[in-house]
Amino acid sequence: MEGVSKELVEGFLYREARLMDENRYREWLALWTDDGRYWVPCNDDDIDPAREVSIIYDDRERLEQRIDRLLSGSVLAQEPKPRMRRVISNVEIEAVGGMELIVHSNFILALARGEMQQIWAGRTIHNLRREQDTFRIAHKKVLLINADQEMPLLQFLI
Amino acid sequence: MPRSELSTDYAALVRDARIHGSLYRDPAIFERELEAIWSRVWVYIGHESEVPKPGDYVRRQIGLQPVLMIRGDDGGVRVLFNRCRHRGNLVCNRDRGTAATLKCPYHGWTYATSGALLEPSFEEGYDSNLRREDFALSAAPRLGFHRGLVFASASPAGPSLDQHLGQVKEYLDLFMDVSPTGEIDLRTGIQKLKYRGNWKFLPENSLEGDYHGPFIHRIAFELHGRRSGLDMSSLYQNDIPDVIRALPGGHMVEDYRGATMAPPRHPPSPARRAYVEMMERRYGAEKARQLLSTIPPLVYVFPNLICIMTHLRRVQPVSVGETHVYYHPMLLKGAPPEVNEARLREHEFGFGPAGLISPDDIEIMERNQIGVRACADDWQFIGRGLHRDKILPDGGATGYTMDECHLRGMWQHYARLMNQRDAAAPAS
Repeated sequence: MEGVSKELVEGFLYREARLMDENRYREWLALWTDDGRYWVPCNDDDIDPAREVSIIYDDRERLEQRIDRLLSGSVLAQEPKPRMRRVISNVEIEAVGGMELIVHSNFILALARGEMQQIWAGRTIHNLRREQDTFRIAHKKVLLINADQEMPLLQFLI
Repeated sequence: MPRSELSTDYAALVRDARIHGSLYRDPAIFERELEAIWSRVWVYIGHESEVPKPGDYVRRQIGLQPVLMIRGDDGGVRVLFNRCRHRGNLVCNRDRGTAATLKCPYHGWTYATSGALLEPSFEEGYDSNLRREDFALSAAPRLGFHRGLVFASASPAGPSLDQHLGQVKEYLDLFMDVSPTGEIDLRTGIQKLKYRGNWKFLPENSLEGDYHGPFIHRIAFELHGRRSGLDMSSLYQNDIPDVIRALPGGHMVEDYRGATMAPPRHPPSPARRAYVEMMERRYGAEKARQLLSTIPPLVYVFPNLICIMTHLRRVQPVSVGETHVYYHPMLLKGAPPEVNEARLREHEFGFGPAGLISPDDIEIMERNQIGVRACADDWQFIGRGLHRDKILPDGGATGYTMDECHLRGMWQHYARLMNQRDAAAPAS
């Protein structure tokens, strides 16, 4: 894709990470296309969402509901809100034609809330659509390393 | 004498509407539960559809004891203890899979999918009088089925599965009758969750959404109604009699047949119309209409199976203050694929670690576990509706939508089991 540097892509991922870390839900939602898909598979990385359950499989409407709920202030697992910081690394860009590119990255997220601390880790695959001098997320698949393990609540953005 | 055998009188800890806080936090009571409940009663293991082909297996537990649910080469489903008869190693370490034979990784003893010992390794070193039949993988002493649901008991004695389930079968059937073939498919993946709280909080919480719903799920229900076009508010009214049921055997039910929902505001899709027609063909127009006019009953089968709307849920105790929960979405065999896909999306809306409904319950249970550490007045109160319970001839009871009579029934059953002193005596 013309004029797309790795720095530009990484800058976008870092900004997304910061918005998630800081529970800035509306701004995060604005990063998405109207036909976006937010997918966190369950049990295995490659499952068929038509007949197997996911942890998250949001279309745009469901994503807005998720955000509306988080903004409602009535999510008990967000009271108090977790403090989070995540590191995004190992960014690899897979060139594709047209206005979309596929970006692979790893993350480690540290979370503190109440008396507990948690570490979450995984690999994210973004389909980013070029829009003027930035991107929008058309598809985001998060492969949690613990997708097949008993996990605590996931009531934040990942 | 182990501490769990101390002469606690559980009837004194479970009064009519008062439950003692130690039942959620005392490790000795948890130990006693393993003996008096989990090692004796019928425990839900899984569904036959999870192991469709010979050699398919899943790992499960009876209490803390590891078992395999495996389909043998003869087509039969068995529940085998996952422990090598040689030196006690875990025979199968994978959570699920398909095996031609089961080979213990430690010294190579190999078993058939039926559990029969095929060959002890380096057999020439064993006394030739040893019989292979004496070294088969141990099967659960009792195994029972109801419409594909697989139950096992670690105790050779006790009431039959039929007796144990009793009236709850009718509600399990209603739950599965939303399938246009009567058959369900649980090969759908499993959402796995853990919480820092006692296992009994889960059945208590799962079957009383009517009372806590307005407090912790209001936003989620509003969002759900907006998307699905369903108005479920009629279900959360205070004044519908006979919704809440305590059944003999410690089972609990929320029976919504008396609480019809308004038809969805959105017009049905072609797939939905095809599904309704299939339902009418199978059950007749009248019963199909009844089955689809409200949500299926919420069902708790003592001690570890919960059926709610989209899924079957297994409760797995880990320790007195830790529990694992497994959500198995239920697909309907023979239904149009779009209908089943919509069920999965509906499930993900509500349930699992990132759902919009049940995580609030999980958070509540973790806080509950902390709350009951305060023991100045160490009693919970589950008295809503106590003065107006309708006691049924079989020992069950019914109450109004938000009443707690089902919880009282579960706890009475619990206390009876916990008080049975003779481990060899059949559990009731």
